[in-house]
Amino acid sequence: MTAIETQLADVDRALAGRAPLPRANGELVFEEPWQGRVLGMTVVALERAHIPWSEFASHLARAVERHGYDPDEPAAAAYYAAWLEAFEATLVGAGLDLR
Amino acid sequence: MSHDHEQHHQHDHDGHHHPRRKSESELRADALEALLADKGLVSTDAIDAVVSYYENDVGPQNGARVIARAWVDADYKARLLANGTAAIGELGYLGEQGQTMVVVENTTALHNVIVCTLCSCYPWPVLGLPPTWYKSPPYRARVVAEPRAVLREFGLELAAETQIRVWDSTAEVRYLVLPERPAGTQGWPEEELAKLVTRDSMIGTGRALDPVDASA
Repeated sequence: MTAIETQLADVDRALAGRAPLPRANGELVFEEPWQGRVLGMTVVALERAHIPWSEFASHLARAVERHGYDPDEPAAAAYYAAWLEAFEATLVGAGLDLR
Repeated sequence: MSHDHEQHHQHDHDGHHHPRRKSESELRADALEALLADKGLVSTDAIDAVVSYYENDVGPQNGARVIARAWVDADYKARLLANGTAAIGELGYLGEQGQTMVVVENTTALHNVIVCTLCSCYPWPVLGLPPTWYKSPPYRARVVAEPRAVLREFGLELAAETQIRVWDSTAEVRYLVLPERPAGTQGWPEEELAKLVTRDSMIGTGRALDPVDASA
């Protein structure tokens, strides 16, 4: 497997069950480009900062719960809004100054 | 985005609640990317590489191309059924080292479905990421014990006389189902046919799309 494939497998494994990535017919769903960038940004940043995906997954599961469910809101938008919160919390938790 | 400017007005008049929230997330994402780039933690190029991989290279479209080729090219289909690993490799979708791909053909008499009862072995290079249910203990146990009932829950009603065969994947051998070509697709070009091939049809928990449904 290539490095990116391995990363994707790690992401998938870490998030499955708790906050699985939005998909349709197996393919990742991005309603807007920023959602894909947020995912890409997280993959790159966690790897470079040596933060395990399990760490992020815990934050994400909580953020998804906190965000709640709104039937009018597109699924991926809700998911990636929670993702952003979780990503920031993970970075702050790792000692990064985001101000 | 151009509609950002109008969002306050939209909000007042027609009860659109969500454009503003999406836009907030987008702005927040942009700001975060800029900040992390500034700190040297991410670069635009590295993010672009990941995003483009997700959008273009993973997912069941590789498998769909294999199936569509087999539907239009009888020689390819014969090679695919005889040696799945080599025939899939012909199209450039190489598996992990040492992994054998076996392709099993669905007919009106025989329906194939794949599972991994031990864990979640899955034909990655052609189908991308496995769906969550594929990895779930109920699917793994029940599709072996009562495949007909499980397939019915997927909305797939098979004729009583159709035999069902369940293939248990391992780390060494991964299976891919060759679904039946839908009726009414004579003369269709390969790339149009590929659009009818769903992920579930290659796992065996569904059929390829009907051309009528696909165009609807």
